[in-house]
Amino acid sequence: MPTLQQQISEKFLSKLAGCGEVDAAKIEKLRVLLSENKRAKAEDFVKIFATPAGEDLK
Amino acid sequence: MIKLETAHIEEVRGIRKLDIDFRKEKFAISGPNGSGKSGVIDAIEFGLTGQIGRLTGRGTGGLSVAEHGPHVDKIRFPDASFVRLQVYLTELDKSVTITRKISTPKKPKIEPVDDDVMAALAEVADHPEIALSRRDILRFILVEPTKRSEEIQTILKLDEIGQTRSTLNTTQNRLQRDLNAAKAAVDSSRTALQTHLQIATLRSGDVLAAVNQRRALLGLAEIAEMTADTKLDAGLSSAAKIPEFNKRSALRDLGALSDAARGFPTLAAGEARAIAADLGRLEDDPSLLAALQRHTFIEKGLDLVDGAECPLCDTEWEDEQHLRNHLTAKLLKSEEARTLQQRLLDKGAAISREIVRVTGLLAPVHKLSEAQGSADFPRLLSRWRADIGELKDKLATVDGLMVLKDRLTTGWLGIPNAFSASLKTLTETVEAKPDQTATIDAQTFLTTAQLRLGDYREARRKSEAAEIALNTAKAAYTAYCIVMDDELNALYEDVQEDFSKYYRIINEDDESEFTARLTPSEGKLDFDVNFYERGLFPPGAFHSEGHQDGMGVCLYLALMKRLFGDRFTFALLDDVVMSVDAGHRYQFCKLLKTEFPDTQFIITTHDRLWAEQMKSARLITRRTSLAFHGWAIDTGPLVESNLDIWDDIAASLAKGKVEVAAAALRHHLEYVSRHLADELGATVQFRADGNYELGDLLPPVLARMKYLLGKAADAAQSWGNNELRDSIAARRTALSNATGTQNVEQWVVNRAVHYNEWANFGRSDFEPVVAAFKELLRCFVCPTCESWFHITPPRGAPEALRCPCAATNLNLMAKVVTTARLLPFR
Repeated sequence: MPTLQQQISEKFLSKLAGCGEVDAAKIEKLRVLLSENKRAKAEDFVKIFATPAGEDLK
Repeated sequence: MIKLETAHIEEVRGIRKLDIDFRKEKFAISGPNGSGKSGVIDAIEFGLTGQIGRLTGRGTGGLSVAEHGPHVDKIRFPDASFVRLQVYLTELDKSVTITRKISTPKKPKIEPVDDDVMAALAEVADHPEIALSRRDILRFILVEPTKRSEEIQTILKLDEIGQTRSTLNTTQNRLQRDLNAAKAAVDSSRTALQTHLQIATLRSGDVLAAVNQRRALLGLAEIAEMTADTKLDAGLSSAAKIPEFNKRSALRDLGALSDAARGFPTLAAGEARAIAADLGRLEDDPSLLAALQRHTFIEKGLDLVDGAECPLCDTEWEDEQHLRNHLTAKLLKSEEARTLQQRLLDKGAAISREIVRVTGLLAPVHKLSEAQGSADFPRLLSRWRADIGELKDKLATVDGLMVLKDRLTTGWLGIPNAFSASLKTLTETVEAKPDQTATIDAQTFLTTAQLRLGDYREARRKSEAAEIALNTAKAAYTAYCIVMDDELNALYEDVQEDFSKYYRIINEDDESEFTARLTPSEGKLDFDVNFYERGLFPPGAFHSEGHQDGMGVCLYLALMKRLFGDRFTFALLDDVVMSVDAGHRYQFCKLLKTEFPDTQFIITTHDRLWAEQMKSARLITRRTSLAFHGWAIDTGPLVESNLDIWDDIAASLAKGKVEVAAAALRHHLEYVSRHLADELGATVQFRADGNYELGDLLPPVLARMKYLLGKAADAAQSWGNNELRDSIAARRTALSNATGTQNVEQWVVNRAVHYNEWANFGRSDFEPVVAAFKELLRCFVCPTCESWFHITPPRGAPEALRCPCAATNLNLMAKVVTTARLLPFR
């Protein structure tokens, strides 16, 4: 059974994906951050939000 | 989750050595205050979680499991203090053994060491809220809304959610400051570019007009359109050979700085004064200053927490969660300080923006002064720029602002004394230079314009990126708040519904329409309850203490149900029901039985009658209950109905401790008499205070047993079972003999009513007394299962005298001899 924290994280990411203001790559990074680290720090979020949209050339 | 099978407790808290068979059932431990009940709860909690809530909660400063967990005589030998629990893991269908020593609370020995077992036990250890004490109830009911919100969020593990929200908020504040700085850099670079181009706006047409004029002079192609790739100096054959100095541009830079310098003494003076005033308030109010210092300090500490050791004072906590909760609670207390901190940082940010603008004006003049070979001015500007750069860093923290207080009131910009004169000298030097040829002027104009356009574009790019980052952070924060509020509202609705239902079950006689309302808002949780349909009020407003206790338990149960759902299989209720009045106790038992049939509650109460009521309500049985009659530092809890009682008494006598043996016998006889009076249905003179002494109980019990054995013998005879009749007669004779022996000791027994006199006897006086009562009580015990006899049914005319194992099952119903009457045939 997912915890309330997990439920909120899932719905948060879905809502973010639906609002169209955040690109998919950032949402994926947020998913990893929230699932791996219950105590994410502000600098972790700043790093994700300040990353230019899209992905690096492969 | 779990159910508890057995516990072995050794040298923990007030317990020396104790084994309890919990049988995975609801279980009650009763005993007077100070008899060691809570010690059992502490030990179980320790065995499961490695913590003892009583030693780690609020108001327990100076207490610790390491120092105060062992029995007081074993403080120096904590290795001897341990708990061994046999635990059943319901979802894994496995029994495991946890052995945890006080000396190594984080390193329990677990058998078997399977991954799934370890994961399941880790989950249990992460839930200290399985133990509820009466003190905890106050955390839910009689606290201010902010504290209640905090407590309930902690128990539901919601503090992590609140922290994520708070971190997202911090993130957007930080990105807002970054954007402000980036915008200030854009303004600064725009001003530099416009000053150079001598245009009022940075419209494409204005820029191209200024640039194309110089390009035409140099015979370069006109730039028709400004694009992102446009190079204003495109086409210059060898930019490297072109001098950087452009006299007219240099004079404009000098002029711009000179003009701005006139306003330097009053620059952001309002903000500086406001900061100084707030800093003055802090100096005048030491408590506010302390709160602010703590706030900043704790905020830093909270950020650095990584494990159970406090990064601020190196104190080792039970776990990281406790440490975080402690620091977060301290942060909340300094709310006023937080507001002040925010105001200080906002004003500091405003001054920082001015610093960016000033730096933008100083940069080209600094470069110019170096190019012109000035001796001191470049050094002066270099130091000044470094100084205000450092100032900018200090403006970003409260600690930094406090250092700046004097400077903020005496000219924060720190204009060097020689600045004006040096600026004037440099301006005169530049003015004195011969005018450049039109070609050189046009070339240097274009190269400088391109450089400044590049700076401006870069600043714009950074600003746009900062804006995107901020908007993303805002969108994330808003989305998280909406989702969190929706989920929490739904959660509190569930909790509110369950709570009301549970409370109605307990109070169905007088509050069958009871409702409650939990209203969450920013950082608060208001809690109102209906008082006899007269409206909603805080729980402490009109309800009695007993009702409030009931509410506390109901809210706890509702929260646990929400937290664990069907996995809520275990809870320790330590004296939490003491104020539930007699009229509602059966209903309370009904609540636990009907709403939580699969939950093992281990309940302690100091009220013996309460424990008996739990049995009557079939919440527990004799096998799933334990009574302590006292406690001694050498023995720990003294257990009633202790099968080893005679050994204990003999051991005490062997040590010459007659008073200990006497007290043990006294309590045992009290317990047994009370128990047998109930189990055998003895006729005891009623006492309204329920305070029956041995003399009130033992004689009726003896009389009742003789009566029952006589009835059983008569019944056996009526059924023609002479063998059984003789056997019962033998029992009756044994009882009479034992009673006779007891009568021999009558002089002692009489004094037994005034128990304290026993303590004055010597060992040889007392041993016959012990032997007499031991022999007497043996007549009431099944030799096979060693349990006390009881009658069935428990109320009304008895039909059988039995023991639990049915080895003894004496029919009390004589054969009814009827005379048939023949009716005439019709």
